[in-house]
Amino acid sequence: MTDPWQECMDHCVEIAKQAGKVIREALQDDIAVMHKSSQVDLVTETDQRVERLIISSIRAKFPTHSFIAEESVAAGAPSILTDDPTWIIDPIDGTTNFVHGFPFVSVSIGFTVKKEIEFGVVYSCIEDKMYTARKGKGAFCNGLPIKVSGQEDLSRCLVLTEVAFKKDQQQLDTMMANLRSVLTIPVHGIRSPGSAAINMCLVASGAADAYYHLGIHCWDMAGGTAVLTEAGGVIVDVSGGPFDLMSRRLIAASSAAVAERLASHIVDFHVGRDDALGSEKN
Amino acid sequence: MTDIWQSAMDHAVVLARKAGQVVRDAVGDAQKEAVMVKSSSIDLVTQTDQKVEKLIIQSVKEKFPTHCFIGEESVAAGEVCVLTDSPTWIIDPIDGTTNFVHTFPFVAISIGFSVNKQVEFGVVYSCLQDQMYTARRGKGAFCNGRPLRVSHQKDIRQAIIATEFGSNRDPGVVDKVFSSLKRVVSIPVHGVRGAGSAAINMCLVASGCVEAYYEIGIHVWDIAAGSLIVSEAGGVLMDVDGGPLDLMSRRVLAANNQSVAEHLAKEIDAFRVRRDDAAS
Repeated sequence: MTDPWQECMDHCVEIAKQAGKVIREALQDDIAVMHKSSQVDLVTETDQRVERLIISSIRAKFPTHSFIAEESVAAGAPSILTDDPTWIIDPIDGTTNFVHGFPFVSVSIGFTVKKEIEFGVVYSCIEDKMYTARKGKGAFCNGLPIKVSGQEDLSRCLVLTEVAFKKDQQQLDTMMANLRSVLTIPVHGIRSPGSAAINMCLVASGAADAYYHLGIHCWDMAGGTAVLTEAGGVIVDVSGGPFDLMSRRLIAASSAAVAERLASHIVDFHVGRDDALGSEKN
Repeated sequence: MTDIWQSAMDHAVVLARKAGQVVRDAVGDAQKEAVMVKSSSIDLVTQTDQKVEKLIIQSVKEKFPTHCFIGEESVAAGEVCVLTDSPTWIIDPIDGTTNFVHTFPFVAISIGFSVNKQVEFGVVYSCLQDQMYTARRGKGAFCNGRPLRVSHQKDIRQAIIATEFGSNRDPGVVDKVFSSLKRVVSIPVHGVRGAGSAAINMCLVASGCVEAYYEIGIHVWDIAAGSLIVSEAGGVLMDVDGGPLDLMSRRVLAANNQSVAEHLAKEIDAFRVRRDDAAS
């Protein structure tokens, strides 16, 4: 029986490769940086160009499909997840890394139908690692199967998270307190690679055991969710409850035991939702 | 005029590459490998650390029988750790042992060579990325043969800062680590990153990927090679309190220029740790 979404997935891999090439070439030049919501929320002309390239290529082949894409949303497009076949796109995940030439930069594309993720592609383009996953068919990196570490003991985990400037003092304090609470469990270590999609793939491939984050977006998580789940990993809300793609928060882990225990160390703070209206977004 | 230390440096590069192969072969099995602990449950060491250090030291001893050594695992086993004027090989067989155990991609072999207490050459081989960083004093810094240059950024608010949490979980120490981190994040900077290997963090400064790196609690073998790679790429080195770098002090601040370095030093809540050359 043919897979109705195989053609979409094949096209997705192709376009991710092309986008990765554009990004690598842009790294050779000086990069003019613009700001979005704050002086640490960066965007470049390459983000915008790559997103246009991806969307126009998909529209040409699949004209009835919908999109939720980072730069389009920043320009005012809605970000509500419907039952439509929907491409959820981050053209450059790790823009700060891109601007600085720090090696974790990815193109992240997740595809949903009836609000369920059917496949995901994350192309870590400086490392040239293509992570792919089709629902029910496993996860791969450059064609080789990948699996989570299976670690069940949080005190033997390498944990990923990101440290970012917060204008709100209370949020900054809570972020620091969470970091400290996790660090002093103690875990083996905490690392900050700088790309949410790549962080999910690092957990999926067993190079790290858990990743938690409050304040990312659905386009950062959609591709990686497929890869992590198909690699045998677990993804939940920071409260330990069910994962919500539009909630702007997640725990990705090598096992349910690690996810649950990690959740008990994290105090949440308000990050808004991707599908909130107007000013509630931030 | 021939460089009297060129053959030593060439040998260091060959050894680093060989050691890198040993590490790559072991990394697949690293999760099954017996992981031992040193000063605490999170200060990890493996048989591969010990095997690689023996390999390097034995080979250097054959070629350069009068030279001295400061090697991480030898010191852990009781060898003296004092820097003299003698030609000295300062070795970290696996910088990023925690990363190695987890197969997280930043694992390096670090070999620094000093004479009269001055680093003459440095070799850092990031073996999972196959990136060979080298520097010879006065002759520039390179990665896989490509010359390295630090970032041009003068404004710390547009900088990425690298740092680590270290392996000391003493609450007083953790307080200071977090106090510094909060101050640095709030400058604000573009971002804070942690690769998990001091030697690689220093090479990231040298290659312009991050503007600065600071840490308290590392060792001379983590920074000897990297310190020359940073300075030969045009960067600056200092102590975390803004004073001159002291290789045995277990504190380091490496940056792309003086202005970023000084601004960063003001934000760091410095504290003292037991020196590498403290009498036991």
